Amino acid sequence: MTATLTTCPYCGTGCMLYLLSDGQGRLVGVEPSAGHPVSRGQLCVKGWNAHAFVQHPDRLKTPLVRRNGTLEPAGWDEALDLVHQRFRQISAAHGPDSLVFFSSAKVGNEENYLLMKLARVGYGTNNIDHCARLCHSSTVTGLVETLGSGAMTNTVACLDETDLVLVIGSNTTEQHPLIGSRILQATQRGCRLIVADGRRIKLSRHADLHLRHRNGTDVALLNGIMQQILELGLENRAFIEERTENFTALQESLAAFTPERVAAITGLQADEITAAARMFGTAKRAMLLYAMGITQHSHGVDNVRAVSNLALLTGNLGKPGTGVNPLRGQNNVQGACDMGALPDVLTGYQKVAEPSVRDRFAAAWGRPLPDRPGLMATHAFDAALAGRARAFFILGENPVLSEANQAHVVKALAAIDFLVVVDIFPTETSAFADVVLPAACYAEKDGTFTSTERRVQRFRRALPPPGEARADWEILSALLERCGLPAGYPGPGQIMDEIAAVTPSYGGISYPRLEESGLQWPCPNHDHPGTPILHRQSCTRGKGRFSPVDFRPSRELPDAAYPLLLNTGRTGMHWHTGTMTRRSHLLDREEHSAFIEIHPEDAARLSIRDRQQVSVESRRGEVRVMATLTDRVPLGQVFMPFHFVEGAANALTNNALDPESGIPEFKVCAVRITPC
Amino acid sequence: MLKRLDRADLEKLLAALATGYRLLTPQRLADGTRLHRPHGEGALALQGEPVQRKPTEAFFPQHDPLLRIGEQGEVTTCDPPDRPVALFGLNAADLACIAFIDRFFADPPADDHYLARRKDALLVGLTGFAGPGGDFLPPANGMCDLELLALGQNWLGVPWTPRGEALLEGFPDGEQAEVEELQETARTRGNPAQDLLEKAAGLVASEVVPDDFWREIGDRCILCSGCNLACPTCTCFCVEDRQEQAATLRSRVWDSCQFDAFMREASGHNPLGTEALRTRRRIHHKLAADVTRWGEFGCLLCGRCDRVCPTGIGIQAVAAEILARFGA
Repeated sequence: MTATLTTCPYCGTGCMLYLLSDGQGRLVGVEPSAGHPVSRGQLCVKGWNAHAFVQHPDRLKTPLVRRNGTLEPAGWDEALDLVHQRFRQISAAHGPDSLVFFSSAKVGNEENYLLMKLARVGYGTNNIDHCARLCHSSTVTGLVETLGSGAMTNTVACLDETDLVLVIGSNTTEQHPLIGSRILQATQRGCRLIVADGRRIKLSRHADLHLRHRNGTDVALLNGIMQQILELGLENRAFIEERTENFTALQESLAAFTPERVAAITGLQADEITAAARMFGTAKRAMLLYAMGITQHSHGVDNVRAVSNLALLTGNLGKPGTGVNPLRGQNNVQGACDMGALPDVLTGYQKVAEPSVRDRFAAAWGRPLPDRPGLMATHAFDAALAGRARAFFILGENPVLSEANQAHVVKALAAIDFLVVVDIFPTETSAFADVVLPAACYAEKDGTFTSTERRVQRFRRALPPPGEARADWEILSALLERCGLPAGYPGPGQIMDEIAAVTPSYGGISYPRLEESGLQWPCPNHDHPGTPILHRQSCTRGKGRFSPVDFRPSRELPDAAYPLLLNTGRTGMHWHTGTMTRRSHLLDREEHSAFIEIHPEDAARLSIRDRQQVSVESRRGEVRVMATLTDRVPLGQVFMPFHFVEGAANALTNNALDPESGIPEFKVCAVRITPC
Repeated sequence: MLKRLDRADLEKLLAALATGYRLLTPQRLADGTRLHRPHGEGALALQGEPVQRKPTEAFFPQHDPLLRIGEQGEVTTCDPPDRPVALFGLNAADLACIAFIDRFFADPPADDHYLARRKDALLVGLTGFAGPGGDFLPPANGMCDLELLALGQNWLGVPWTPRGEALLEGFPDGEQAEVEELQETARTRGNPAQDLLEKAAGLVASEVVPDDFWREIGDRCILCSGCNLACPTCTCFCVEDRQEQAATLRSRVWDSCQFDAFMREASGHNPLGTEALRTRRRIHHKLAADVTRWGEFGCLLCGRCDRVCPTGIGIQAVAAEILARFGA
């Protein structure tokens, strides 16, 4: 029996757990880490089942190469040579920007770093991005502008000392359960809770105030709350004067957001908005927590700005129990962003457009860097259809199920010349691939993940990978070498040393310092203890900037032809496209098939019974799923999780993008439902 | 027979155990977790809270391969490990939990797979001043092969079976008066947690706890299933079949009655279809149903579900709340 201390592979909360194996190479269970500051001897249901998919027989065990239309087993050298040769050919014929690289928020920091290095100096393009484009690109854009750093400002432990929590657009008990449970514990000790969410999520049952505003009206709601805070004189004048700029512009922008107007836009009562303002404005310390309900809109960046404005207006920044706290989705989405797996920045958000930054990296890497920011993942599919993007390298992502407007993605993947997929299981995306490379999963390799609270922590190898599967860092090293770049890293620890040398915020991070519960960045040097709370004396950018925003409606709202608003998201049992959780026995048993939540009154009007199969259609596609009648959703709204290939929510969603962050509008589109 | 062991004697006893058994001892890992680990892997943690993982795992693992079904339909059972296990360092509650599930698995029809692991296993109690920071733990007075009563730097060795007696052979004799002193300490301290549980159980069994209360507690459940996974007397499992090459491997896997699918019918109907009903079941089963079936509570106060629950609704927390609200 062995016990390997590692980090959970699911959400960004960053719990640590022991993977238990029976000594004969079989994983038998999971035990939470007692001493870890976030897990504290506890886990959520996915954490308790984190071992369950690892040894599933479906694991990819050998490289596959498409021959005469069929994916067939091949040797590693053959497969890697083919990848390199085709990428070189396509780059020679169409330019390096015809290549597109998707990195993964599921692999380690070291692996994200190597892939962005491979894209930039191996193949000469900044076309590197990953699924943060689909979750918190709005946060990175919005908070960098207002605060100077696009990450959670405070820590999870701050929930123990706050007086009020405002949760907006986050189903925390299901999506970040060990943060959600910490909120429930806070309410037990008397902390007040405001939940702003159209759905009756579990947290709302514990809320002092539940604001069920219409999907897509967050800017109006937040502006309305701020307008009332000013009206009631509850703003923090001293903080505004000392720590912020552009207040007058904010003040002017809010004037029009009277409770009556906001009530008309949001569907709330005017006095609910005033009550929220009073509650939030009078709290000594208040924390703002948000997630995809804020970011996944065609005005996602504006939503983030509004959240940031509210924190600045009330001085809830830079001290314990406060802050703007975006909850990052994937276990390493924070790290993948930190590592520069983004088209416009290198590690630590250093801009590729900045010549001095490129010079520094060119000196470290021994090759010049491309100077033009690359394509966002969501734009890459358009580029593929336009013939500008010809070859995709997709590491640990499944865009066929995860991107908005599935038909668009499928068309794009069918149109390109060459597709490489690196993954642990066959996926709906790997079905299109010319080469499939089998990867080790988190339990079979070493590395680091960075959690939502910026905590860089180790994951550790508990058993060898299946068959010939290799760690992603080994696969990427082999490609770097084929590009003539030195990549003889003895292990991920040495890759982290290279990261630390080129990344100021990770400057003090090294494996020996991460042995127990990790370090929170910024950690600029080897004596630095890490930074639990950002913006303490001043913001990263200096003054906190108020960024006034106006209300823009969602791009596709219900109408006579498509009368219901479709909201999409996740459930507590499954993870994203189900690659792992649908192969975990208990999780898959609990939620076994695709469903849509519909209000009983809407269902009655449409003659739909509970558990009946229904057809759901949008302007982009149609799927068949089971109806679940529940008043969790408001009247006129339906909700679908995107986990299920047999009822893919993203066949319906709208790939209308935020103009700045490129995030699709996953949270709002129009559908019609008919019984089957 | 009563023996008195010093630290060197204790090491000698452990060395003897390690020759005949797969010896597991409580060890404190780097992050602070106290777990049963193979003896010698890390430093012994002779004092502390109960080992985090339930000790019944040694006989009823979380994921337990039962049998293989070959291509031609031939069935081969999965055998337990060659050497029997010795579990060292169990407190009275943990020993009582093992006794509880022994009775469950041995009850006809007996569970051969469980008994194969259990039959030659050796249990060593560790009580007395062996709690966190040297706190007092009441003696187990049996339920194990031998019990060590911690007195600080020394241990009184009490054999409860012939195997225990043989293992203690040759160590210096102890004073019966010292055992009696520990028994007296246990008597004086009483068991307030047990008293609380009994009072709460009385209220649960007499149906004075209203549905609203269960709804409220159920609202606080985030469905992690940890309470069941951590509970040493929870014995529910489901069966998982996996294709391994041409064969099918059938395993049993710890289940949780807090899952909707635990009781859901193929039609989709679920007689325990709400969190409130499932929460009530979890508490009612341990405090009322088990009393009817076995004559004792299914909760032996090991404390694990309270420790593992992220929202503070472990059985002792719920019992305290029941008593505070309906006990007047």
